[in-house]
Amino acid sequence: MSATADKPTLPPEASYAGMIGRVADPVLERRPGRRWWIGFGATLLLTLGFAVCLAWLFIEGVGIWGINTPVVWGFAIANFVWWLGIGHAGTLISALLLITRQNWRASINRFAEAMTLFAATIAGLFPIMHLGRPYRFYWLVPYPNTMEVWPQWRSALVWDFAAISTYIIFSILFWYWGLIPDLATMRDRARGRIARYAYGAFSLGWRGSARHWQRHDALYRAMAGLAVPLVVSVHSVVGMDFAASLMPGWQETIFPPYFVVGAMFSGFAMVVTLAVLVRRGLGLQAVITERHFDGMGKIVLAGSVAMGISYLTEWFTTWYGGDRIEYEHLAYLFTGDYAPLYYVMLFCNVLVPQILWLGRMRRNIAVAFVVSIVINIGMWLERILIIWNTLSHTHLPSMRHVFYPTFWDWATLGCSIGLFAFLFFCFVRLVPSVAMHDLNKRLHQEKEARG
Amino acid sequence: MSEGRVLLAEFRDPETLLDAARRARDAGWQGLDAHVPFAIEGLTEALGLGPTRIRLAMLIGGVLSGAFVYWLQWYSAVLDYPVNSGGRPLNSWPVFLIPTFEATVLGATLTGIVAFLISTGLPRLHHPAFAAQGFDRASQDRFFLAVADPEVDAVRLAAALDGLGPLSIREVG
Amino acid sequence: MAWHAHAPIGEENARRGAALAFGRALDLLPRFDRAEVVLCLDADPLGPGPDQIRNGRAFAAQRQARAGAARFLRLYVLEPVMSLTGANADHHRPVHPGEFRDIAAWLAAELGAPLPRPDLPEERVRFLRAVAADLLAHRGTALVLAGEALAPELHALAHWMNARLAAPAEAIAPVWPPEQGGPASLADLVAAMRTGQADTLLILGANPAYDAPADLGFAEALRQVPFALHHGLHPDETAALCAWHLPAPHPLEDWGDLRSRDGTAAIIQPLIRPLYATRSSAALLGLLVGQLDLAGHDAVRETWRASRAPAEFETWWRRTVHDGVVPDSATPRLDPPEPRLPELPPATPSGGLALVLRPDASAWDGSFANNAWLQECPRPLTRQVWGNAALMGPEEAARRGLRQGDLVRLEAGGRSIEAPVLPQEGIAPGVVVLSLGYGRERAGAIGSGLGANAYALRRTDALWTVADAGLAKLGRRAPPVLAQEHQKLEGEARELLPLVPLGEALHDAGTSPAHELDPPGFYPDFPYEGYAWAMVIDTSLCIGCNACVLACQSENNIPVVGPEEVERGRDMHWLRIDTYVQEAGGEMRPGFQPVPCMHCEKAPCEPVCPVAASVHDHEGLNVQVYNRCIGTRFCQSNCPYKVRRFNFFGYADGQEYRNQGAPVIAAQRNPEVTVRARGVMEKCTYCVQRISAARRTAEKEKRSIAEGEVVTACQAACPTQAIRFGDLNKPGSEPSRLRREPHHYALLGHLGTRPRTTYLKRVRNPNPALEEGGG
Repeated sequence: MSATADKPTLPPEASYAGMIGRVADPVLERRPGRRWWIGFGATLLLTLGFAVCLAWLFIEGVGIWGINTPVVWGFAIANFVWWLGIGHAGTLISALLLITRQNWRASINRFAEAMTLFAATIAGLFPIMHLGRPYRFYWLVPYPNTMEVWPQWRSALVWDFAAISTYIIFSILFWYWGLIPDLATMRDRARGRIARYAYGAFSLGWRGSARHWQRHDALYRAMAGLAVPLVVSVHSVVGMDFAASLMPGWQETIFPPYFVVGAMFSGFAMVVTLAVLVRRGLGLQAVITERHFDGMGKIVLAGSVAMGISYLTEWFTTWYGGDRIEYEHLAYLFTGDYAPLYYVMLFCNVLVPQILWLGRMRRNIAVAFVVSIVINIGMWLERILIIWNTLSHTHLPSMRHVFYPTFWDWATLGCSIGLFAFLFFCFVRLVPSVAMHDLNKRLHQEKEARG
Repeated sequence: MSEGRVLLAEFRDPETLLDAARRARDAGWQGLDAHVPFAIEGLTEALGLGPTRIRLAMLIGGVLSGAFVYWLQWYSAVLDYPVNSGGRPLNSWPVFLIPTFEATVLGATLTGIVAFLISTGLPRLHHPAFAAQGFDRASQDRFFLAVADPEVDAVRLAAALDGLGPLSIREVG
Repeated sequence: MAWHAHAPIGEENARRGAALAFGRALDLLPRFDRAEVVLCLDADPLGPGPDQIRNGRAFAAQRQARAGAARFLRLYVLEPVMSLTGANADHHRPVHPGEFRDIAAWLAAELGAPLPRPDLPEERVRFLRAVAADLLAHRGTALVLAGEALAPELHALAHWMNARLAAPAEAIAPVWPPEQGGPASLADLVAAMRTGQADTLLILGANPAYDAPADLGFAEALRQVPFALHHGLHPDETAALCAWHLPAPHPLEDWGDLRSRDGTAAIIQPLIRPLYATRSSAALLGLLVGQLDLAGHDAVRETWRASRAPAEFETWWRRTVHDGVVPDSATPRLDPPEPRLPELPPATPSGGLALVLRPDASAWDGSFANNAWLQECPRPLTRQVWGNAALMGPEEAARRGLRQGDLVRLEAGGRSIEAPVLPQEGIAPGVVVLSLGYGRERAGAIGSGLGANAYALRRTDALWTVADAGLAKLGRRAPPVLAQEHQKLEGEARELLPLVPLGEALHDAGTSPAHELDPPGFYPDFPYEGYAWAMVIDTSLCIGCNACVLACQSENNIPVVGPEEVERGRDMHWLRIDTYVQEAGGEMRPGFQPVPCMHCEKAPCEPVCPVAASVHDHEGLNVQVYNRCIGTRFCQSNCPYKVRRFNFFGYADGQEYRNQGAPVIAAQRNPEVTVRARGVMEKCTYCVQRISAARRTAEKEKRSIAEGEVVTACQAACPTQAIRFGDLNKPGSEPSRLRREPHHYALLGHLGTRPRTTYLKRVRNPNPALEEGGG
């Protein structure tokens, strides 16, 4: 990675104005093409579908899903963990790479952060949808009330609530604060009156003053410093939803770090997917280059190896621990009702990404795209299998029951992906998909380096 | 923020701006600022701006938020509404630290945001500098030095910047 | 006018057997409480039926594994399909129905009867020899019971053996039918209907169009009757063929009287004014004899007035109605004559496929088919709900290439039905079993269209066993709905329900870590200064009858969810009877484990609840605050016992199954217990409303709640008193005493949950002669 940091990632002939033009023009100057309209329309339909799923859920109750007496958690929790995992990479890219001065991040951090924002928000919907009485979700908030009761602080769900709401608020602010200088740029480039006013208002009157930049930089870097432990804490807490329990296959100390790694892994995979699409859709080949894919490929590969090690550790400690129920759980993973899915998951998460050891493959954008999709399928399977394998195969054999998804399970998952894509289609038409000020800062550094 | 007359000198690249800023600083002028499209290393020092205390504010805000949330948990679980929850101790401090941590981060962030807004005076949608011809490129590819010293006029500024080739020198406000 | 009676589940074989042995009709009531060795030949004294409670209670009295004083009878069962009695046996052998003649003869010969010993396989001989030796060694306390499905001659042979063993059984004249002037048979009626002799037919409380043996052709004959009237609770299959249906009141809505098995009489007083405009059968019969306004109340009083002095009648009546039982009304015990040794029946072929028909544990003969509670109550052993299935041994199924859920066509006597296959342990090879009471077309909203109608294959000459049945795989599937899919315990998992021999159980060998009640932990102790409620369940005594499950359901307003929901793995029973099969002494032995909430002191469900809906009270109850619950279901996902139940839909409140939301059904709910809404978790409360009622009474009287004052619904219903509830802070309370038994254990105790509900291991009393030789 450090090699990538030093190596120039931007074309040598690039100019500041050129870079800005490349990023801003697709939003301000070019009309949305046919492909955009098709995508926008299709995802709008899926978004409406999501609304239908929600409405039906609230009318009928959570019984419309496949959850049952022993497997009381199902798609909603898996989707939540999956989306939240995806929602980790954006902040990590921005924050971790900022702190470690991986300035090539400039090309990808904006849409990665937007991805985080959308994914974390969608993730945040699922635990509420999951509730038997969703209209009471605010009882998790500590506020003086006539019932004179408080949240039960020992519950991992309260930690979740604290962590996710903090994370969503933080992500919005972090994304927005990074966006303010670019909004000013947009304000200054926009020709329409409405656009000028809107960008102007949202840029808060930013005028690029040295004082603005100084404070912006101080705040932004401090936030980045906070972001790293925050991101780690958020998925650790999600891991603790499972680990702070008594159930075989959940009660494992490896869960918090394993969840964080998994989140990074799936998040980076989603960044790659989106990078391919944004690059192609907006014609940003000069901004997002093969070098970026090379860098992200290395991170994804590292994530895959870490996942493999996590699985191995899980198997080993179970075998070595010798507890009956844990051992039965391990056997169930490999031979039980969901074993085929477990093998698919291992294939997706551990085997397929190994192709990224080859630099040629890392820089091949088609390969990157396919691998990233495969990984996200694998990571979704991992999340649902964590729930299914444990809850379908609990301590007492009498209460073992397989989960069968219903139409509404699939519809809600599918439509949530549609909603995510819809938000992204809106995003690419409204704000610059790449952080222009960071990009030009990077360009400045590269120019300096070249002398 | 000086509301008076401001001189703006426009440059094509950051290096020249830095040079200009150093000259202005060395000349002992007051009210120096710059308007640039991206963060430039060394610009703060070149202009002689003082350090910012945003991070100190964030630290204080974070610590206070965290302490409050720990206290809230302790108060509600031990004093106000103690219940036997699975036989766990009333003051289950190891797990109380988790919301405490989240509150610390959130508190620090929000304090930082507020401190930023206070110290920059934003949001402020109107400013004399916007009136300057070509100022819209300050957010794109031009680099402006701003001098708001009543003793400095355009001629003095032009003289001071001799050899740096400013694209323009304007007066706004 | 002629009177005919029909009961699909009767006792003709037993009666005729008694007549063969004693020359007159006699009922022999076994006295388990005085027995030490019992052999059942296809008899099911612990199974569903009128004797279950009496026999269960007496059986339990003789199955007390207590360190202080153990009394533990030994039970041998030979039967074609495992019954509840077979499930509770110490030695069980699945036997083809055709084999019983030879087995009974062999045993009688071994006990000294002048009969030729039939040839039996060596393994069977070894088993029977050990059983006979055991019986003979316990003369005076040994008992042989024959089941209704056996031929009358074999019943007579059992009587002979019992006389030989001086068995603890009491003979009485049958309570029903009367020895003289009883009703004629259904077959005679059908004949009369066919010939047109019967031109007016009144059917009172019977449903022969559904439950008569198919070869009688009752339904066709009924169509030829010019005027037929049906009087019954529901418009059923018979009512549909009659010109008139008259609605009858439910027995709990009207006055009546009845006799129990031993003749003891009881007066029924109504619990509620009739809900609908109904007329009792007394009123209908009154019309027939010219009494135009005969009410049930008057009819019952007149009946009992007859034998009493007019002066004392009112007093007697009031006391009897108050007590519920007519004092000293039991039929006098008789001293039966020496039984005669019967002629052996002709040998029945033991080859071919035998279709064994049995009453259903829920639907019985079909008359309870419309009862939603019963339909959703998992049948003992199979754990099937909402239907019946063709049961067969796993080997038999494998041999025929059948998997669970495969539809098969069963044929006998030219008629056929379709049923799904359900392999089940404890069924003899060459036997397929079907329960009666299903395939009803007009049972009502709940019972219609469930399962396969076994009556279609039943014949007057083959009521219980249809020899040479045909079975064909259809290639379609209709998996039965099971409340519990996995029953086998292997390896270390056997620690969940340990099955231990008597000697080992009472020998204190220390607690295994898996059963530890109080493993070391980090958490502080919470003091319980007032009461500390606890429950101990003796799994040796649990005969698996399900009475507790339904008692809990009725006490706690537990909704019925319907077959589709159960199939999805959702059910609402707060108390379930986990049934496990495990290897013991060379055979697969079942065991029953009632699982209510464990009320763990370190409850895993509580700290995970984000809104403190699941909390502990100061008496150790794990309580669920319904109106605080938001339905995260974290509690259930973290409950190792999985005893919590979630309202995925508004099962009790707005989204009920079929007719379960009808006002008349809502009216049956217990007003002391909240009806739960959609999206809320619920679970066993130890009947907190009963604790609370006892506390109020005690506080009013300024005393503490006495031992035995709080009886949970499940405990009250248990015929064997396997469930004991009380205060752990009283050293002499039942749970305190049972917790000191050496075979006491905590389910999943090693998790550190410190359950308040604990168990006694399931004790068996094997015959050493069989255990070592492998039988």
